[in-house]
Amino acid sequence: MYSVVRVSESSTRMVAFMSRKSESKTEIAAPSVPQRLTVFGPPLLLGGEDAAAHDQLLGRICAAVKPADIIDEMFIADIVALEWEVLRWRRLKWTLMQETGLNALERFLVKQLESNYALHEEHFKSYLTEILQNKLPEELVDSAEMLAAACTPHTDEANEKLDEVLSSIGLNMNTVLDDARADKAKELMQEYVRGERDAVTLIQELLTDAGVNMDTFMTNALAQKIDIIERIDRLAAVAESRRNAALREIDRRRAVLGETLRRRVQEIEDGDFADGELVIELPPPEGKNAN
Amino acid sequence: MTSERKIRANRTNALASTGPQTTRGRARTAKNALRHALSLPVCSNPALSKEVETLAREIAGPAANAETQELARQVAEAQIDLRRVRYARHQFLSDTLSKEYYDSYANMRMKVKVLRALLRPNPPDMSMETLKFATSTPQGPDKLATILSGEAKELLAMDRYERRALARRKFAIRAFDAARSRAAPVTG
Repeated sequence: MYSVVRVSESSTRMVAFMSRKSESKTEIAAPSVPQRLTVFGPPLLLGGEDAAAHDQLLGRICAAVKPADIIDEMFIADIVALEWEVLRWRRLKWTLMQETGLNALERFLVKQLESNYALHEEHFKSYLTEILQNKLPEELVDSAEMLAAACTPHTDEANEKLDEVLSSIGLNMNTVLDDARADKAKELMQEYVRGERDAVTLIQELLTDAGVNMDTFMTNALAQKIDIIERIDRLAAVAESRRNAALREIDRRRAVLGETLRRRVQEIEDGDFADGELVIELPPPEGKNAN
Repeated sequence: MTSERKIRANRTNALASTGPQTTRGRARTAKNALRHALSLPVCSNPALSKEVETLAREIAGPAANAETQELARQVAEAQIDLRRVRYARHQFLSDTLSKEYYDSYANMRMKVKVLRALLRPNPPDMSMETLKFATSTPQGPDKLATILSGEAKELLAMDRYERRALARRKFAIRAFDAARSRAAPVTG
């Protein structure tokens, strides 16, 4: 079953390959693909899927299987289509889990910011400045920053002033505070995803203090999306089993071909040699044992 | 109990309702129950039939006997059928994904429920998440996931056609290989 091993190796590489940026994809030249494979139709890609990565997969599988005839090519077209599906469903599952987990983290961060104003005081100041610059009358725009600085400290006096200023421009203080917190939480979450050290440290601290970790959110995400994840897993399993069936058929055909050849050779040996029709003249022995 | 008069009237009305009379109307109603036409044999489509013949010739090769040619045609037919099913499923997924406001039937029903509640004279308090759910449609990977659950029945039906085509092709190839191996000339 050599081809099963070889194809699964190349598909593992493809998972890593597909997650790279598109510039790096063009650096690897795709192995040549038999022209006849086009008989089996264009690649079935969904919006946003990379045609170059698909060609790369096809090239690699062609190189690994080395099709002997058009039926082998049919199986290769199948393997590629099914492998592509497996990768699609795995990627979808991973993205869904990741997205749901990160949304949960964002909600957690909003709650943390609610109870700890100091965490987003600076952000709120710049957020408020921006609002004031957009909403205040032209003659007051220059004083927006100063006004924001006066309203930002979380004191009764500053809050009163903030409420007054925001009411004068038709805004509600609580809504603005909520929006600012949501904005900061999103920003922090994005920095965390990018792996920025400050954000990672801060979020780890907040998580530890609350007695949770990212795994908690991912587990909750799994629980929340269990139905669809099960469905995606089933689709991936079906595609995998069909892909493996195609690989087995290639192996079977190769075994049949080998068996046919062996039988023919045996028939030739039994028939032609037994009748004495085929005589192979051997060269006379040379050296010291020669007669 | 239905009166005699009503029964007579129903029968007379039924006789008048014999469906469309024009050729165009009849042609249209003939397609009323048509969904994806995957249950129809490949040979019923002239374009696909032609492709089957071309592929069969290529599979059989130049020096094939009648038996091998027939088996090659069966392989080609199953292969073209498989391609047709996969293309139909792909087209279905692509078309649904390209619908801007797509949502599953279950989600739509829940949204209607929320919106109805909001339109009442004294609407109940609703969380921001509920309001967000009612006023948004799934996007990105969520959309594909929603399609997979919302259209599960249709996708399952197509999967059944694919499974059948795969099985048909597998046995056709085995029979073809066996016939070719029997017919292979003894060389030596």
